[in-house]
Parts: sequence; structure tokens; C-alpha cells
Amino acid sequence: MQYREIDIERNPLQNAEGSAICRIGKTQVIAGVKIDLATPFADRPDEGVLSMSAEFTPLGASHFEPGPPRVDAIEVARVVDRAIRSAETINLKSMKIEGMDKVLAAYIDLWIIDHDGNLFDAGLMASMAALMNTRIPKVEDGKLIRNETSGNMKIGAIPVSCTFAKYGDHFLLDPDFVEESGAEGTMTVATTPEFMCSGQKSGPGALTQKNIMELIDISFEQGKNLRRIIEG
Amino acid sequence: MTRILVPGEEVAQSSQRLAYTYTDGQKTYATVISLFSPEGKVIPLQGPYEPIMDDAVIGFVSDSRHSGYDVQIGSANKCFLSSRETRSSFKLSDMIMARIKSVDETGTIDLTDARLLKDGQLAKISPVKVPRLIGKKNSMINLLSHATGCQIYVGRNGMVFISNEGDFSLAREAIAIVEDQAHISGLTDRMAQFLADKTGKDMSNPPEVQYDSMPRSEGGSHSRDEYSRDRPRRHSGGFSRRSNERR
Amino acid sequence: MSNDPTKKLIDDKGIRLDGRQIDQLRDVKIISRVLNNADGSCLVVWGKNKILAGVYGPRECIPRHDASPYRSKVRCRYNMAPFCSLEEHGRSGPSRRSQELSKVISEAFENVIIAESFPKTAIDVFIDVLQSDGGTRCAALTAAAVAIADAGIPCKDLVCAVAVGKIGDTVVLDLSKDEDNFGQSDNPMAFASRNGDVLLYQMDGLLTREETETALKMAQEASKKIHALQVEALKEGFEKKGIKFLPLSIKPEQVQ
Repeated sequence: MQYREIDIERNPLQNAEGSAICRIGKTQVIAGVKIDLATPFADRPDEGVLSMSAEFTPLGASHFEPGPPRVDAIEVARVVDRAIRSAETINLKSMKIEGMDKVLAAYIDLWIIDHDGNLFDAGLMASMAALMNTRIPKVEDGKLIRNETSGNMKIGAIPVSCTFAKYGDHFLLDPDFVEESGAEGTMTVATTPEFMCSGQKSGPGALTQKNIMELIDISFEQGKNLRRIIEG
Repeated sequence: MTRILVPGEEVAQSSQRLAYTYTDGQKTYATVISLFSPEGKVIPLQGPYEPIMDDAVIGFVSDSRHSGYDVQIGSANKCFLSSRETRSSFKLSDMIMARIKSVDETGTIDLTDARLLKDGQLAKISPVKVPRLIGKKNSMINLLSHATGCQIYVGRNGMVFISNEGDFSLAREAIAIVEDQAHISGLTDRMAQFLADKTGKDMSNPPEVQYDSMPRSEGGSHSRDEYSRDRPRRHSGGFSRRSNERR
Repeated sequence: MSNDPTKKLIDDKGIRLDGRQIDQLRDVKIISRVLNNADGSCLVVWGKNKILAGVYGPRECIPRHDASPYRSKVRCRYNMAPFCSLEEHGRSGPSRRSQELSKVISEAFENVIIAESFPKTAIDVFIDVLQSDGGTRCAALTAAAVAIADAGIPCKDLVCAVAVGKIGDTVVLDLSKDEDNFGQSDNPMAFASRNGDVLLYQMDGLLTREETETALKMAQEASKKIHALQVEALKEGFEKKGIKFLPLSIKPEQVQ
């Protein structure tokens, strides 16, 4: 029940408003944040937009192919998105701009450059490290002035996740690619210090209710260390 | 003086026929990242597996038909074991060791003399470093077998079978060391020291591993020198299908 | 394309906006062996550009009908990450520009990769632009060449690319994005290091005949310096041990 070596580089990219690269063992994931002006969703005109996407770029693994995202990539993006959204990491209401119909939009893209398992945890850590260093461009006369900033993005709770691979009654924390491929399935639990904020059972295989509670407990425990790594 | 070559680096001022080089008729250049040995040989440090007749390879059965089996050896080459070439029968996902009977001009391999490998796991090493893992007169592989207590079979394609009995993770670690340091001289001595430190065993005279149960090429191929495989990988200027010729 | 801003791009003393001379390259750093899964990989930091190339191959050619019985199929794919530009968030999927660049870059490598050695296979080269600031196709081709060599795929040569352009009626080396946007011509070229043969040549804007010749010579001279960095990267790369990682924050260095 131990993580491989975790390393985070903050803001390696300057064109993106926020960025980070997170490594867990041989897995390497880049998160890039771009801030744009956008039309808000019709049912939430006072809220900013948060949009997450994950790209299994073909240089990341021999079985990644060019083309539109496959369901695995979509799953990673949506699970990480749920963690950030539920934890209210970003205050979407603060992304409304006075006197404008448009709102700020944060686009987070996960770029999976090296897949050796556990894309969920690496993806969430990279996203969080990127968001914590994201600078909001100044808004003037209804336009974004990109080389001037009105400050860093304000971050609320910090979600972190733990992914487990299931082998019968045994669970492996932070599975690598081989361990994921041979497992009956995986379970990802994202937590803030107080709450669980995203959960995903992925793959076939059934979990007992006792399994789930044990994994949630371990996730809260491990979460403390992960959060410390993100905060640097 | 051993020096590192990169593609396009000049190796000779005249047009020469040398493995892993290319000539435009006037000068000769290296084609891969390699070492230029004092004897004037180009030794690749990286690259795909290039199959030749009589190589022992290790792979997985990926498809099974009446006529034979498709075998995955981790390279792009299609690999087929005809039912007529083996007395055993295999199932999907079986790990096997076999000998290359022939390779055609498109790189498709026909296998023979296959046997099942079980109760063990696979490790990988870059195919160009396999000679180093075997060592002169099996010196390196004997060290590893003695230190770990595992049976270790090395396929020329870079797949290495390590039996379950014995210290599997030490074997894996040693193989990773060979992968990283294959190009540095004195590796066999350093490996002996490393294994002695790790196991507390005396590594000065490891017993010869018995290979009689392995396909015969495993015994034959060790008479070649440490690095070269005498493969005619010449590339003459311009498009030429002759580059696939084998002597 | 040519209007007032060009006057400011290059001052009376021949110094450009970013302080460079007319024949001076931006700072460049090339590092090989930065990915664990790919057979070969390379990061090129060129000015503010950050470009990652990863190579798989020779491997099974899928779709099968693309495979040739005589040689390996060399397929290069140039793609820009949505967070690469200073401006808006980019769209996903390759644009028409990316597809065109993929084609000309693939064609440059068809010249140098000894594909006859591996018939019926494919050699896939993926180039991701993680950050762009003008001249990405040159940095992309340069990165791809190193990644291909890093994978041990036989090549006749190590190729690299440099762009020349025209700003303020002067032929200058290695345009940055601003210079390209407000300049009078952009002329990217790729050279074989052995004999200076041109493997990629594109041009837009207006150049006189003399200017095209000046551009060729200027680019070829500069390509020798880039080539030296590629060689250094390969020789350092193969010494790496253990788990590989991408040093994305690394700063580029002045090119001698």
C-alpha cells in the first residue's frame, strides 16, 4: 500500500495560464490550464465555465492511437473533473465578470505523455498543481489582456485521489500499467480533508461493501500525504 | 579508442562495407547510435531486433490454428510456428522458447524446436544488449544464475525468462544494470562484485549452467564474440533492396 | 503582412526586438530519452517553443493495407496541444496546418530513414507542440530526428531544420512568433548534415532572388550549430540510467 516516487514540476509552461507535470513512477502527465472568455451555460448564467479533457496522445503508449478520445480518456477526464467540481476547488461564481454577459472559462487539458498506470491520481495531482499556480488575465473593455494578471486563481479545498487495483480480495494502491491490465478492475476515491468528493469503480469485477469502506478509509489517510506533496 | 557514433557521423574516408553503416560511394557513415570499437566494428547501442536463422527467441502464443501457432516476440516481425515443426502442442498465451528456422525477405519468421516455458516470468532487455547479457562463453549469464538461483533463458529478441524458484527481483535488477551499462567495459567484474555484495555468495567461479535442455542454437551462438553477431547490415546509397540480403 | 510594425522589429543598429543580431539563433536546448514507453524520444526547447517527439517502431503497420512489402511506412504526426499558444485555448484534433506539416515532415524523413530494413512495418513519429512561439515546424523536425536516432532506427543522416525570414527588408535568421506575424516572409528549411541537401523547403511572403540565396546560406550555416546540439543530446541521452523523465522546466542555452 505504497505510492511509487511522486514528483511535481510547477509552471513548466509560460503560454498556458497554469501548468504542471506530475510523475508517479514512470507515468508522466502534463496538465495545462487556459483561461478564456466564454458564454456561460444557459442554466447557470452567473457561473464561470470549467471544462476538463484528457488526451491519450499517441506518444504516451504503444496502444494509444491518434483520433478522437476513446472512452478511457473520457473517463479519466470526467472522474478528475468531478473531484475538482465537487470539492469546489474553483469558485465558479467568482468567475462572473461585472457588466458582461461573458464569464471566465478555465480549460484544463491532461496530456498523457507516458502511461505506466494510475492516470487518475497523476491527472488529478497535475491538475491541482496547475490550478494552484494559474494566473487570471486582466479583463479590460470586455477583452482579456493576457500579459497582465489580476492575480492567481483562488483555490478552495484541494482534492486528491487514491486508485486501487483489485485482485480477488487484495487491493494494490497506485497500480502500474501491468498491474492495472491484469486486475479485475480498479477503484478510485477522491477526498478532501473532510469529504469524499469523487468515486469511480472502473472495469468489471465486484467489490464487497466492506472493500469499499476499507478503501475509503485508506484514501482519507493517504490523502494527507498526497496533499502535502501538491502544496509543495 | 571507443567513441560514440550518431547517424550520419563519418566512420571512414572511403567507401566501405561495414555493418550498421551507409556509404554514398565516397565516404562511410554510421546509421545508428553506436560504439566504434578499437577493432573498427560498429556496435549498436539501441535498435529493434533483427532476426537471423538459428536465433533462439522467446515469445507468447497469440493465435492457434490447425496449421500452427502465431507467436508474439515483441518485435514487428510476424512469427509462425508450424504444427509440423514441433511435437508439443500449445495454448493461447503460452510462453515458449523456439529456434528460428528461416526469415524471409519481408521479415516473416518461421520457428522450429519450440518448448513450453512455465513457472517463471519475463523480463525485457534491448535486443542489441543481449550479447552482453549472455557474456563471453556465457560468463554473465552464469553469474546471474548462480547468484539468484533462477534458471534464466535469454532470447535473442530481448525477452528473458526467469524461473520462479530463486531471487526473481535480484535477477530483474541485474538485467536492468546490464541494460544501463552494457557499453561500459569491465561490466562482468562489476556485476560479480554487485552480486557478491547482494547475496554474500562467492562469485569468483560460478558453475557452468547446463543448457542441454535448450534448443541447440543457445550453445552454438556463444562461440561468437561478445558484441558482434556477424550480421550483414549494410546500407548502400540510394534505394536498394539488397540491404535485406543475408550471407 | 507588411505594415508599420515592421519598422520596430529591427532597429538602426540591426538589433531585433528580443535583442538578437540578424543571424543569431534563439537559445536552444535539446534533450533525448525523456519518455519511458516510447522507443525513442526528444524534448527541444527552442526560444519559448517546447516540443516533444516520441517514436514507436518499427512496429506492426495498422491498417494492414498501408504496409509495403519493400519498406517500412514512415508516418509523422505533428500536433499542437490546446494549451500551447499564448492566445485562446486551441481546438482538439489536428488542424489543416498540422496535417500539412505532418506531410512535409514525413517526407523529409522518408529521405533519411533506411526503411528498406524493415518491410511491412510502420515507424510512427509523434510530435507534440506543448508550447509555441514561432518556428515550431523546425523545432518539431529537429526533435523528431533525435527521437528516431534515439530509438536506434537506422538513418543515413541526422537532419535538422531552421527558418529564415525577412523583417524590415532584411533577411534574418530564426523568426520568433511576433517577427513572423509582422514580417515580410517566412522560409523554413531542413538540411542533411552530411552534404547540405535540402529535405524540407517552404516559403511565403516576398523574397528577391538574391534574398532566397542569402536565406539558404544563412539557414545552412545555422543548421550546423543545431546539428551539433542534436549530437550532444544523443550522446548524453544514452548514458541515462533508470526511470526517464521529461525536464519540461529546463531553460534553453545560448547557441555558440
